[in-house]
Amino acid sequence: MTACIALVVIGPSQHMLDVILLSFMWAGLALAWNIAGGYAGLISLGHAAFFGIGAYTSSILTVKAGVTPWIGMWVGAVAAAVIGAILTLICARLRGPFFILSTLAAAEVVRIGALNWTSVTGGAEGLMILPTPSAMNMVFGSKTTYAMLMLIYMVVTYVVTKAIEGSRYGYYLFAIRDDEEAASAAGVNPLLARTGAMCTSAFLTAIGGSLFAQYFLFLDPTNVISPELSFQFALIPALGGLGTAIGPVLGAFVITPLSELLRSYFGGGAAGLHLAIYGAVLIIVMLYFPSGISGALMRHLTWKGDSAR
Amino acid sequence: MTVLLEVKNLTRIFGSLRAVNGVNFTIREGELVGLIGPNGAGKSTLYNLIAGAIRPTAGAIVLNGMEVTGWKPYRAAKAGVARTFQIPKPYRNLNVIDNVVVSALMHHRSVAEARAAAEGILVDFGLSDYLESPIGVLTVGLLKRLEVARAVALQPRLVLFDEIMAGLTPSEVRSMTSLVASLPGRGITVIWVEHVLYAIMNTVRRIMVMHRGQLIADDAPEKIAKDPTVIKAYFGEEMPVA
Amino acid sequence: MVAMTTIGQLVFSGLLIGSIYALMSMGLTLIFGVLRVVNFAHGEFLMFAMYGAWAFVTYTGFNAYVACLAVVPAMLLYGALIHWIIIRPGLNKPHLVVVFATMGLSILMQNLALLVFSADLFDVPPLNAGRSITIGPFYAKLELLIGFGVTLLATAVIHVVLKSTYLGKAIRATVQDGEAAQLMGIPVPRIFLITFSAGSALVGLSACVMIPLFSVFPSVGLNFVLIAFVVVVLGGMGSLEGALLGGICIGVVQSLSGYYVAPAYGQMFFFILFLLVMVFRPAGLMGRRGEATLGMLD
Repeated sequence: MTACIALVVIGPSQHMLDVILLSFMWAGLALAWNIAGGYAGLISLGHAAFFGIGAYTSSILTVKAGVTPWIGMWVGAVAAAVIGAILTLICARLRGPFFILSTLAAAEVVRIGALNWTSVTGGAEGLMILPTPSAMNMVFGSKTTYAMLMLIYMVVTYVVTKAIEGSRYGYYLFAIRDDEEAASAAGVNPLLARTGAMCTSAFLTAIGGSLFAQYFLFLDPTNVISPELSFQFALIPALGGLGTAIGPVLGAFVITPLSELLRSYFGGGAAGLHLAIYGAVLIIVMLYFPSGISGALMRHLTWKGDSAR
Repeated sequence: MTVLLEVKNLTRIFGSLRAVNGVNFTIREGELVGLIGPNGAGKSTLYNLIAGAIRPTAGAIVLNGMEVTGWKPYRAAKAGVARTFQIPKPYRNLNVIDNVVVSALMHHRSVAEARAAAEGILVDFGLSDYLESPIGVLTVGLLKRLEVARAVALQPRLVLFDEIMAGLTPSEVRSMTSLVASLPGRGITVIWVEHVLYAIMNTVRRIMVMHRGQLIADDAPEKIAKDPTVIKAYFGEEMPVA
Repeated sequence: MVAMTTIGQLVFSGLLIGSIYALMSMGLTLIFGVLRVVNFAHGEFLMFAMYGAWAFVTYTGFNAYVACLAVVPAMLLYGALIHWIIIRPGLNKPHLVVVFATMGLSILMQNLALLVFSADLFDVPPLNAGRSITIGPFYAKLELLIGFGVTLLATAVIHVVLKSTYLGKAIRATVQDGEAAQLMGIPVPRIFLITFSAGSALVGLSACVMIPLFSVFPSVGLNFVLIAFVVVVLGGMGSLEGALLGGICIGVVQSLSGYYVAPAYGQMFFFILFLLVMVFRPAGLMGRRGEATLGMLD
């Protein structure tokens, strides 16, 4: 925690600050995804839809109705949660790859919808937010402020995650994840539990989307609701360690700077090399370290039989 | 003793197979009832019906005077019906005590309370050495005990045991048997499906026998052992040796 | 009358393109039916094969259909390789391992292609100088008709193999119950290898049929894999006939909605179709009831 704040305050170059800021954001987003994917076992490859709903809702409200994003982001979050609930209900009977593919399809529906609803979203041309700094409108001149904002986001999602982990609701999520039939027989209502997890996850992801919109100041469906982005939402927690609170954070802090590094090293000369390496690393990690970085670390530190919940 | 469970004309058909065919019986509070029958008799289907895992094609299930026919499993659990699974289904990513905590949470609001209760049950069941162990280290016998512990942690009125003795050593069978026999004393009524006959024949006072979806006998163990219909079901017709 | 011919033409075109979608998806459905894994890199397999076909055509001058002779065996071997190093180790682990590993493979393959071929679109010259030929009241490009023919032929061949040969029966047994199959002496691991390789070879075949119709570029796989998933799910995972039926449905839906509604929304339509199928008949048109609710046999 203190290290993070120190990072931000000391924060050398603007570029470094960028990376740190994005790491915080991705940590928050990864934690949010993990509530559904790691804790409840609902592996979603469509989370970019929630991100986009959050980003677009708060931005549209700002640009078209002059509503400050400080309020707008909650509206977006609620919208995302509602969509998340609907999705879970639609996919109530689906398991495994059927569920995963449905999330993909649903996200594509949202993306294409956003792309074509040009009157509201600006379509492919995108939506731009005026860059005039104003604390009221959540536009800041200094990157450090944005970094602090993202840091708060990360801390909040971490706190929420930990709270769920230790609560009776958390136990119920792990139970339906590990064996839904046994959990039902133990009195857990699977549909209610899954819906709650997906809604919470969607809510938090959408907030992240709104914050991102305020930072980047430009949105377009191809970049904000893309399958590639959705994959990222799932890959970072997977690499870091599903089902733990620290895993997604580790994943974000490893992947974000790493991809930045690879991009600047190789990006110019050999476009795609950094991603190729990323892909290869992912394969190796998934096959040989399925509990991710956090799992591998835990084994090294040999903590007594602690369940990697 | 008051009536706890009534099963009336319960039927479940799969395609052309009458897995459970017009089964009727009544279970009173505090009873310890065995349920036996050859493979394919419909015992597991009967359990699935009572526990809510599948819906009956016809008939009714009444628990404590309440119609619970067709209830989902989690509702049945909340109403006081617990069950074990023939092949244990533990939560593989949780450790032993957490497995029981999930069940204990039904009657304990806080996680701390549930944990304490879970620990108590596990100690009773002789699993105190394994509280924080991951599931992977448990042997079959211990896994089955865990299944029973999880069921008991629900503080049920009625528990349905499904072949909890299979794969156990004789001494494990003995300790499990005394565990089960102690349950009515704790206020838990037991229906017990079992193939390891010597375990239940001497413990229970009433045995129901199922064959081809129907209840063919419902009596004391001594009478069941001599019942020609039961013997025929298990061993087939007697062949005259010329 | 004019409207009728338009609808007729649209349905006809949809049928043809749909059959090609079906061919592209058959490998995926076979692999799922037998191995119970979803290869998220399926689109990239197609992309690699399309590059292969393009290279063959560009450097030998023969047309794309001759390219089959090189591309199909190459994909067979490639499939075997990937099965060996990625799929096989992931089989006994929780299914999300294979999901993420194949996603990683997809990223790796896409970017390797980007490195080698750059992001430019590559094409092969069309047959018949791009003109369409007439079949009764309808017209269609020659490549589409050939594609349709190849699909039917491939489906028939695979159908015969599955029904009549020992290998086919072994595969069907493995689909129904892998454990029982193994107990019966069927070398299930080898069946897995053969199926995955054959599925990849099928992708190779469809690439050759598709390169005259579509350009290839590194991320072309993503468009097609989504279509393939929809086809497979619609038709029923593991069902060959389902894939054919599903592909044709998708083709027709896309064709009709692309004309009557905006083309962009056309894509959205079949995702909505997908979700509808998921709600009402998740096992697909030809799948076995309840299959989707069992999900993966963990």
